[in-house]
Amino acid sequence: MTDLTAKTTEVHTDEERASGGTSNPYLLMPISVLFILLIFAIIRSPSLISSAGIGSAIIVSAPLILATYALMANAISGRGTVDLSVGPLIGFINVTMIQLVANGYIGSPVSVFIFAVALGMAYQLLMGLIIIYIRVQPIIVSLSGFLALSGINLVILPRPGGLAPEWMLNWGSGTTIFSPVLIILIVATLAWLLFTQTAFYTHLRLMGSDERAAYTSGVPITIVRLGAHAIAGMFSGLAAITFTSLISSGDPSQGTTYTLIAITAVVLGGTSLAGGRGSVIGSLFGALNLYLITYVLATFNFGAVQSFVTDLAYGAILVASLLLTLALPFIQRHIRNFSPLLYFVALSVIVFGVILHNTFDYDGLKSIQPVLLMAGPLEAAGTNAVNLVSPGYAKPLIFAALLIIIIPVLLRVLVSQSSRKDIGPLLAIVVAALVLLGGYLLSRGPELPDSGAKTEEVR
Amino acid sequence: MNVPVADMQNGNLLAKLIGLVLAIGLTAIGVVLGFVQGLPAQQVILYAVATFALSAWAWKFYLQQFHTQNSAAREEDGPGELRQAWEKYRLGVLGFVILLAGFLILSLTVEGFFNVWNVVSGLILLAIIVLTITVGKFVSENKSAFIGLMVLIGLFTIGAMNIEGFASAVNIKSILLFAAFLGLACVGQTLVSLLGGLDLSIPFVIGSANVGLLYMISLGVPPWLAVILILLLGAIIGAINGILSFRLQGQALILTLGTGFAISGGTQIITSIGTAYSGNVFGTVPKWLSNLSAMNGVTFGLPFPPVIAIWALVAIVLIVGMRNTVYGRYLYALGVNRTSARRISISERVYWVAMYSLSGLFSALTGALLLGWSGGGFIGVGDPYLFMTLAAVVVGGTSLLGGVGGYGFTVIGVLVLQVLTSFLVGIGLNFEWQQFIFGILILPMVALYARSPHIRTQI
Repeated sequence: MTDLTAKTTEVHTDEERASGGTSNPYLLMPISVLFILLIFAIIRSPSLISSAGIGSAIIVSAPLILATYALMANAISGRGTVDLSVGPLIGFINVTMIQLVANGYIGSPVSVFIFAVALGMAYQLLMGLIIIYIRVQPIIVSLSGFLALSGINLVILPRPGGLAPEWMLNWGSGTTIFSPVLIILIVATLAWLLFTQTAFYTHLRLMGSDERAAYTSGVPITIVRLGAHAIAGMFSGLAAITFTSLISSGDPSQGTTYTLIAITAVVLGGTSLAGGRGSVIGSLFGALNLYLITYVLATFNFGAVQSFVTDLAYGAILVASLLLTLALPFIQRHIRNFSPLLYFVALSVIVFGVILHNTFDYDGLKSIQPVLLMAGPLEAAGTNAVNLVSPGYAKPLIFAALLIIIIPVLLRVLVSQSSRKDIGPLLAIVVAALVLLGGYLLSRGPELPDSGAKTEEVR
Repeated sequence: MNVPVADMQNGNLLAKLIGLVLAIGLTAIGVVLGFVQGLPAQQVILYAVATFALSAWAWKFYLQQFHTQNSAAREEDGPGELRQAWEKYRLGVLGFVILLAGFLILSLTVEGFFNVWNVVSGLILLAIIVLTITVGKFVSENKSAFIGLMVLIGLFTIGAMNIEGFASAVNIKSILLFAAFLGLACVGQTLVSLLGGLDLSIPFVIGSANVGLLYMISLGVPPWLAVILILLLGAIIGAINGILSFRLQGQALILTLGTGFAISGGTQIITSIGTAYSGNVFGTVPKWLSNLSAMNGVTFGLPFPPVIAIWALVAIVLIVGMRNTVYGRYLYALGVNRTSARRISISERVYWVAMYSLSGLFSALTGALLLGWSGGGFIGVGDPYLFMTLAAVVVGGTSLLGGVGGYGFTVIGVLVLQVLTSFLVGIGLNFEWQQFIFGILILPMVALYARSPHIRTQI
């Protein structure tokens, strides 16, 4: 009897240990919100899932995502570091870049990148030095930076205007997915993921959750804090570049808005402003969520009160997601082996289904009167969907979808039951392969009816 | 025993020599500049004598204050005399040179900067700095209030001398009027920061109250009833803030921001229902309300707007109440140490919610009074208060971590900010520069008294 209980507890702890590294319950919320919004967005306006739709989504949300990364780097470092000055800093790099380009001091891509990143890092390092050596609370330092930078931005460029460097002008068109902005985004995300593998990141998290413990265990907290600021500065520089490419000019007055939205995105992504916790995927989803909120709301026609409704929705979602973090301990208690990856895959299969449903039913929707369309977004699609979906295309897709769900579930169970911990990468590879397979099938299978639908739409 | 005395005399001689050289240098620069500007010779000589005397006096004062005890404890053998003298007086000399360099740069770049008033005000500034440093050594408690007062006196003296009409009744009245608005908006921020929280919903509540009050009046609600309703609504919103953020105290900043967005959006949606003018409300403000806060308002026959009297009353009640009543003492007790406060059965939740609802109440009051001042509803009327309330609280010396400070400090902070604004407007700087200078000045002011201890002393 005792033997048995001992065994079960052993398995139990093993399970927990196996899930300890990867399971991050704080990702639960951003993922759920992301997919709910995504489904809404696709149903409301299927043009999101097109080359141009995704392209413009990337272009518009890139500065926000990068600003969110910058904020996150600082937030992890603890002491309640909420960098209020991130928006004005992006504006500052933007307007100085525009002015320097206009006067011919810089112009080539390399010089612009070096300039933006160096300026961001210089500012953030200065801030870090003030926090470390003058020992004023970080929020006061960032408040001071906010006021000073938003003032000086208006001095440098009194009103929106100017022109971005020539090579950057066609970045902001957003007609294709594979724009340079996407490359910047991917490189930045990968860089952060690589960074999380370093000892420096471990030090950073330790310092964020308990600075005294970090100091007594010999972590060089001064250097770690400066490093966090340098990384934040780097991301601010990149955010400024993508911001410049988005608006193709200079704008000194975006500071307050960007600060508030970026802080919202950080919190939506599950980063703790108290320090020590944060994930790049969460921040990415947080920023994407904000874009999707705006997108979904834009599909409703509120007329003159559009921006007010957006404000209201921002606020309500922000408060709701914050309150949901209170419920996380309960969820964590019940779901021991939560895997964000599996959750993500499962939800993305559902979204794939919705996309397929929507794309194939597009003709059907077209034929109905617009009045009926307004009746209810969920009901309208079902009218004569069946006869349009060719079973020949649908079968492999459904099969792939089932595979995508079942195989990871099996693998996940396998991993959690076995005591070995290094199956994790294998799982990731298999899931990635399956997703790729699904994507391949998707791109091959419904090509004919899909393009047909599109051409009809164009007409 | 002979050696130290001789040494001391020697040192004194050297010190005097350095002072003499500095004074002569300063005078020479003054004379050269005077002749370059083409002033009459008599004036130049007069200024030169005045400069020489004043700088010699300042140096003597500096010597007396800082180098009476130090010189006795000097070692006998060391580097050469000149080097010793340099090491001993380098702080004074460096400070002097930096001030001089700043002054010179300003006089060379700004046309007509070099005149007698600027020289005199520069010297007054010097005297105030010296006085602050010397007397500040004896002030151990309430250092922030002392420094704030010194800055206030300095700013006011210099402003009164340099700017025509700065010390006039009209200008003082307008400073006090705007200080009253800012001061009332800061009540909530101060109370909440004493508990270690932050309230960023203040500007949104101000804007919403501003628009909502006019909307109610335009609907035909009696103005007195409308004001009471608005105050009540403000308090309710504050209470909601408090209830929601009680479990999320670390994230209070972002949660109140979210409710702020939601409230501002919601108010605008409500007020724009049924009208063609989105977000713009039209109506007539009753006479008594505009008398409350207009520049030409009358309080019981005295020619100043009643809002100043209201602010003074609120300030007195709060200062006395927080010092002498049990509620005030409990507030500080909670701010300093939650655990010990709980041991003497102080309800943290009640105080947290009460402070937030007071914050909402006073924000709504500010919004209502601002309606009387402007005469038209505008949702963005609170926007400048987003970070200004924070700045005033911080400059005054209330710690954002809780437990230290009080409303009296905030009053000083508010006055410093308003007098500084008035001063900057007076010397012809526009809004951008004002904001920049605010940002730059917050840091050193806070650094003078609110430095946190080094990490190694916290273990």
